[in-house]
Amino acid sequence: MFETRRLRSRIVLQIVLTLLVVPFAFPLVAMVQGSLAGSGWANYTTVLSLPQLPRFFVNSAIVAAGVILIVLACTMTAAFGFSKLSIRGKEIYFWMLLAALTLPEVVLLAPLFATITQIGAYNTLWAVILPLAALQIPFTVLLARNFVDGIPDPLLEAARIDGANTVRTFWHLLLPLTRPIMAAVVVLVFINSWNNFLLPLLFLQTPDQQTVTLVPQFFVGQYNNDQTKVLAAAVLTGLPVVIAYTCLQRFFERGLAAGALK
Amino acid sequence: MGVALAALATFALSGCSGSGSAGDGGSATEGNITWWSWTPDNDLAQREIDAFNQQYPNIKVTYKKVPNADYTAVLRPALASNDGPDVFTVAAGGRAGAVQTFAPYAYDLGPSMEQLLGANWRSKVYGAGADAFTVKGRVVAAQFAKVGAGILWINKEMFDRFHLSPPTTLADWVRVCQTFRSNGLGCLREGVGGAGFDIDTLHSIANSVEPGYWADALAGKRKWNDPTMVESLRIFGEFTRNGILDEGAVGIQQYPDVNNDFLSGKVPMVQMGTWYSQYTTVNSLTTALAGAGVPASTPKVTIVPVPFPDVAGKGNPNTLFADPDAAQAVNAKSPHRNAATTFALWLGGTPQGQQVLADNLDSFPTLNSIQPKWDGIQLVNPSVQRPELEKVTAALQNSSEPRTLGMNAVLQQAVNDADQGVVSGQKSPEAAAAAIQTAADANR
Amino acid sequence: MHSLTPERRRVDPEPRTEAAADPVTHRRGRGDRRPGLPWILPALIVSVGLLYYCIGYTGFISTLDWDGASPEQTGVGAENFVHMAQDPVFWGAIWHTVVFFVLTFSIQVGLGMAFACLLHSRVHLRTFYKVLIFIPVVLATATTAPAFRQIFAPDGALNGVLSALGLGGLTQAWLANGTTALLIVIFVQVWQSTGVVFVLYYAAIGQIEPEIIEAARLDGAGDLRIIRSLVWPGVRGTTIAIAILSAIGSLKTFDIPYLITQGGPSYATEFLGTQIYRVSVALSQVGYGAALSIVLLVLAITTAIIINAGGRRGGRTDV
Repeated sequence: MFETRRLRSRIVLQIVLTLLVVPFAFPLVAMVQGSLAGSGWANYTTVLSLPQLPRFFVNSAIVAAGVILIVLACTMTAAFGFSKLSIRGKEIYFWMLLAALTLPEVVLLAPLFATITQIGAYNTLWAVILPLAALQIPFTVLLARNFVDGIPDPLLEAARIDGANTVRTFWHLLLPLTRPIMAAVVVLVFINSWNNFLLPLLFLQTPDQQTVTLVPQFFVGQYNNDQTKVLAAAVLTGLPVVIAYTCLQRFFERGLAAGALK
Repeated sequence: MGVALAALATFALSGCSGSGSAGDGGSATEGNITWWSWTPDNDLAQREIDAFNQQYPNIKVTYKKVPNADYTAVLRPALASNDGPDVFTVAAGGRAGAVQTFAPYAYDLGPSMEQLLGANWRSKVYGAGADAFTVKGRVVAAQFAKVGAGILWINKEMFDRFHLSPPTTLADWVRVCQTFRSNGLGCLREGVGGAGFDIDTLHSIANSVEPGYWADALAGKRKWNDPTMVESLRIFGEFTRNGILDEGAVGIQQYPDVNNDFLSGKVPMVQMGTWYSQYTTVNSLTTALAGAGVPASTPKVTIVPVPFPDVAGKGNPNTLFADPDAAQAVNAKSPHRNAATTFALWLGGTPQGQQVLADNLDSFPTLNSIQPKWDGIQLVNPSVQRPELEKVTAALQNSSEPRTLGMNAVLQQAVNDADQGVVSGQKSPEAAAAAIQTAADANR
Repeated sequence: MHSLTPERRRVDPEPRTEAAADPVTHRRGRGDRRPGLPWILPALIVSVGLLYYCIGYTGFISTLDWDGASPEQTGVGAENFVHMAQDPVFWGAIWHTVVFFVLTFSIQVGLGMAFACLLHSRVHLRTFYKVLIFIPVVLATATTAPAFRQIFAPDGALNGVLSALGLGGLTQAWLANGTTALLIVIFVQVWQSTGVVFVLYYAAIGQIEPEIIEAARLDGAGDLRIIRSLVWPGVRGTTIAIAILSAIGSLKTFDIPYLITQGGPSYATEFLGTQIYRVSVALSQVGYGAALSIVLLVLAITTAIIINAGGRRGGRTDV
């Protein structure tokens, strides 16, 4: 984007970039430093030696997987439907879906609490998976629909001419083409499900059901907030997501680029 | 035919008792039960459970500590479902676990209390507590703790270093703080707003202005915008300007910020109540220091309770005010109701339970005639701390002035807001007091 | 295999040259005319079903005076809404939301564009910078909030750095002052979301044909001129989308003010989200909280419609 033919301009650009990035790195450094205060690496061993810890990671993974599956299934079918098929009042449905984007999680608490306890889903992972999926779908459908809009119609027409019905067109033709946006959806949904705090806090009560975002709680006493271990727990919780993103970064970028809102 | 019908009826009845309702409640001396509370901390709770198991080895208790701020939000869905805790702690009022909110879910412990302590059990325990936890004639929870406030805690080493003695008047206090500040230290550090400890500070000031006013206001006999309250708020607001209160008070939290700073030896004095006595013990202080993020070699401070100074200058004596702190309630839906009742009553109703609690020093026992056994408690600096602790404990035992009993969440929030307003200089004392009264009036 | 079902011939008003007429339906034109309703049903049932049920329930509760647990519920009609109109904390929250939106949106767009442009140039370690900017996005606020509270504490890292740089006079209790507390909330939000804005702009800029840029450069246009006249208009659609998401996000803001400032000091950082939580959970006024939620919803939908309409008038495709 910028002229980089001269060495001097390259150096200037590099410096500007580094300076801009410092405020982003600063809190991360503070976080790690804070987690090592006091007992140092012993903070990490204490957090890691929590007996419930592996189970928490497993539960978080189950929640993330469940949400991703539901969201992917609903999103890709809906994107296909909105973009390529005929529906009466299509835009009305679409706007209804988008309107749900405006819902903050806090608003869901009272009704969810009443419903979940009544249907007996309390303290089960479903109490977290379904609401989370419902909250993510509007945005992912938005992204995916844009992407599918970009797939040329003749491609699908050709499949029809060859006699494929809708389901086969979807499965064999559309899905492979939508891999980039599916990757973007997977990354976004994974991040949001892994990091969710409020729903597990209220609806998951026993250690065999709880997720990893509740770990810092163990170190928040009534009088003694063990900040060092809270930060260590925070670093440990964040690590899988950071690693996952770093590895999948290219696919994510490509997916967003392809589905990008131009 | 008759036999078949009878068999069917029995079948149906036994089927009914298994689901939802608690059935016969299980055995009173065996079972696995869960206990949820915001207090005490895990290590103290473990001591209490261990002592319980010496008497009842076959009841396994799993303690779950929920942060104070989330307690009410977490408890509601739990109790509404069928998977709630067997025993849950409730408070006499306030924002976390108020007994009024959760009374419908609790099992009536009246008969069991009578069985344990006799028909006149109310005369054997802290009266205000027994009343607070009886809702509509049902004994909703068994109290086990009483706490008080109206004191300051000082860092003895810091005072000694500058040859200062604890202040007894406002002028004293200003001077003491000047000395500390000119040596690069803070003075009184407090987190104003949010958690509510500034309510105690305001209460102590009000007691200095006019003893007995606060209790009357709590009971609704006096107004919150009374000149006494206005004067108290004015004095509190002055703390920022006359150098007593550290700056930034409205932006920090009592827990963890002030707590960590004081216990790691950075601050000369704080306003905390009798629960803070636990940090005079070596065990609790060590745990607290680890949590504060300071190296293990940090020297352990000697903290000492001192009376709140006479800031109004009228010579009114300093008094300790106290409230029922917490009580154990039993979930009416619990399938292990009887074992849960055994545990719930044990902590507050038996000498063994109350002794463990008393020796932890974070709460005062509610069963009459139980006192901490000082000889068995390892203090950081016994010669200095023990006499003062014994004084405070005696005052707490005899205290009959309420702390916040009857103050609901809305009113507590209003007082927090008023404190923040005057301390940050954004509100005049008159306006702040008027706002408290408005909140009290709007409240049903 | 051709379908043997005879279907009506439809006249296509916009003849398209690429798509050949379907021999069976003789249809041309956009999209497959096969019925799509079953396809969007899963998403509608899960999302719209659950969320609209919650909205309806909330609407019902907003007419009550209820503490959320007891079996007693008193109907009070519109009283909660009347109380809201007179509630200074509510209006303060609205004001904070507006300020928050304006500042976060402009700073994020500025930074996002700057990073996107810089990282489209030939600089070193591009992946490192990209990942670093995005890491704050993937970290949960619940985990970063304690770090921020420490940084801005009176004896925290920020004041430490200022003193070390000789700017000791600027040190203060950042969280104790209403204005700086709000700025801190804004800072944390920018820190957390610039990564997303950056990725979106980066992708959008990547879509701009390089020939256009080259042509402009040959004509003698400088870098900043190119950005202002070519790149910025070219990513307009992205900007509109970010504006909508940012506005909705500002209305929904909860985590950051709740965890870092608790809505204080003296409600200086109170947002609708935090007010709803405080009123419903701490003060047990679930009816009033529900009323606030309904207002929040209406505001969010209205804002989205306004921004989208404004964007459309500018001549771009809709979101």
